[in-house]
Amino acid sequence: MMAKKREKLLEVKGLKTYFFTENGVVKAVDGVDFDVYKGETLGLVGESGCGKSVTAFSIMRLLDYPGKTVGGRVVFEGENLLEKSEDGMRKIRGKDIAMIFQEPMTSLNPVFTIGYQISEALKIHLHMNDREAMAKSVELLKKVGIPIPEQRVHEYPHQLSGGMRQRAMIAMAMSCDPTLLIADEPTTALDVTIQAQILELMKALLQEFNASLIMITHDLGVIAEIANRVAVMYAGKIVEYSDINTIFHFPLHPYTFGLLTSIPRLDVELKRLDAIPGFVPDPLHFPKGCKFNPRCRFATDKCREEEPPLVKVEEGHLVRCWHVDRVKEEVKNGLLVGV
Amino acid sequence: MAKPILQVRHLVKYFPIKKGVFRKTVGWVRAVDDVSFDVYEGETLGLVGESGCGKTTTALTILRLEEPTRGQVIFDGKDITKLKRRDMRKMRKGMQIIFQDPYSSLDPRMKVKDIIAEGMLTHNMLNGRNVYKRVGELLERVGIPADYMNRFPHEFSGGQRQRVGIARALALEPKIIMCDEAVSALDVSIRSQIINLLKDLQNEFKFTYLFIAHDLSVIKYISDRVAVMYVGKIVELADKKVFFDDPLHPYTQALISAVPVPNPDYKKKRIVLQGDVPSPANPPKGCRFHPRCFMAMDICSKVEPELVEVKPGHFVACHFYDKKGGNS
Ligand SMILES: Nc1ncnc2c1ncn2[C@@H]1O[C@H](COP(=O)(O)OP(=O)(O)O)[C@@H](O)[C@H]1O
Ligand SMILES: Nc1ncnc2c1ncn2[C@@H]1O[C@H](COP(=O)(O)OP(=O)(O)O)[C@@H](O)[C@H]1O
Ligand code: SF4
Ligand code: SF4
Ligand SMILES: [Mg+2]
Ligand SMILES: [Mg+2]
Repeated sequence: MMAKKREKLLEVKGLKTYFFTENGVVKAVDGVDFDVYKGETLGLVGESGCGKSVTAFSIMRLLDYPGKTVGGRVVFEGENLLEKSEDGMRKIRGKDIAMIFQEPMTSLNPVFTIGYQISEALKIHLHMNDREAMAKSVELLKKVGIPIPEQRVHEYPHQLSGGMRQRAMIAMAMSCDPTLLIADEPTTALDVTIQAQILELMKALLQEFNASLIMITHDLGVIAEIANRVAVMYAGKIVEYSDINTIFHFPLHPYTFGLLTSIPRLDVELKRLDAIPGFVPDPLHFPKGCKFNPRCRFATDKCREEEPPLVKVEEGHLVRCWHVDRVKEEVKNGLLVGV
Repeated sequence: MAKPILQVRHLVKYFPIKKGVFRKTVGWVRAVDDVSFDVYEGETLGLVGESGCGKTTTALTILRLEEPTRGQVIFDGKDITKLKRRDMRKMRKGMQIIFQDPYSSLDPRMKVKDIIAEGMLTHNMLNGRNVYKRVGELLERVGIPADYMNRFPHEFSGGQRQRVGIARALALEPKIIMCDEAVSALDVSIRSQIINLLKDLQNEFKFTYLFIAHDLSVIKYISDRVAVMYVGKIVELADKKVFFDDPLHPYTQALISAVPVPNPDYKKKRIVLQGDVPSPANPPKGCRFHPRCFMAMDICSKVEPELVEVKPGHFVACHFYDKKGGNS
């Protein structure tokens, strides 16, 4: 799975996207840094409102008013996307970087056939003629496991089931052989057996196309299954960033730790869920200091005063917390030992 | 052995499919199709299945918020399917339901104190003076400060609104509470708070839960026994441990294997089912699972398997339940 020599495909640095609303400035994404290497899957995980979708839309430059990226860089294959012209972006979107949404109808147009929509992208980006594009569309639908693709290309999105629509959207996303795929909660709305189908399909396609993926989800199970590395977001910032094994077995941020010990799971019998108290803060009234401090059992006066930076605790493991040492003490034998 | 507080017998609910200007009935959605199970006093029975399999309709017909097409529901020893509307309303005090969406189930124009007091006043449990004192106690019990009672639902967060819904159900001192996807819409951290609250309340008040959810991890955590539905039918029912460690129905096996587990080292063979869940308006003949079943034989498309007790307390509806499927 992991690319051998780690070549950087995308570098997000200091990304800040704010919404200038009547009630004040919502700092939805407030200094986010991460990298995506060629061929890998980076999981972006966090509860709703933490800024996952806004991060994705900022990378794609698809923000609507009153949202604006006010700082940072998004370097894709050596170029800062934030400095590109809209025309230049259009050449990249749907070709080099493709996006998959939770709701397929976000990217599928209800009034055109599936085949027409996939063909359009192929004609624009790969300069195919009608016949080539249609043939390629059939081939793509077949690849994503849609039965009788010759017939399905002529159908409209509403004629497909939820799972099949999701497959059609994936076919469209893969059509121009993107190097980066951004999937925003692609399986959240699906039933569990259909979710399993889509996850298996995505894993197979990533292998085949050797594409990188940013998998956005709130589901730690999905992350464990598909990601190589993980960034955990809380209140517009990344609070922990590491490889998948470290995150699940030796998390060092109290929020990550709390998430993992609070969820019911199939692999271990939990006596009691160690629920994180309180709730995610309203972005217009973020607490002073560490944004997690009102919910954190490790919090001290320092946490209530000063926001911690994201620092390297080990090679490839970054944590935004003043008291990593105390958390480390609790997880030194692995997170689930003794439950 | 605890006694059953709720006995569901051959419960059927069909919804008519109407077409044309004359609204002629052209078919039936067989949402719940001959469902039988018991719920024991003090236990939590988990009811799991993918969307559209009939979980909500099962709960609503038990409460007669939807009239059953056929079948019997015996609550606390009484057949409630025959009760007149007024008597049913009294009976419903003992059977409460908490819905997924606290937004739509709480009247936005009412203060929270009146939402919670309403049932207690209707059932003459307390008089006007004492009722708000009780509301305050109930709110505190579910983790909301008593002085929030004068607020309106929109002033609460999603998790708090679900707590209000729980307080409203608690107020009537029910024997059984049906939780219909009560934690499904909540964010991870809030969801565990509410699950803990539901468990604590059960320990304290000893009521029974029929806990409906599509999330198997939640079901595993909260249930004593688990029933799984597929296209309007229960296909397997067993003690939680047996259900998860040794499921016999191919659908249960596939369902459990499909759940993503938050542990990168947890490697298990996944059974990926082909195709989509069929519509209950047009269920497959024979075993409803046969078009997707990896164990299906000729007989499966012809003869519908009965739900039978194959071991004490373990019910399965499959012709080949004893032919360990999936990986062998
Ligand atoms: N159009 C908008 N106007 C104002 N605030 C917004 C808008 N879109 C998103 N936000 C805010 O930005 C924050 C991050 O949102 P989002 O990225 O959608 O979260 P996630 O995808 O992690 O659930 C939230 O607090 C949300 O309320
Ligand atoms: N009032 C209704 N009229 C017609 N069909 C209905 C009605 N309520 C539910 N159904 C159908 O009955 C089936 C079972 O629905 P439901 O009980 O809500 O399933 P679940 O709760 O398991 O998702 C679905 O196919 C649904 O569309
Ligand atoms: S900085 Fe303090 S409040 Fe924030 S996560 Fe660390 S210990 Fe908790
Ligand atoms: S009866 Fe046949 S089709 Fe149905 S679950 Fe059993 S083996 Fe599969
Ligand atoms: Mg989102
Ligand atoms: Mg339902």
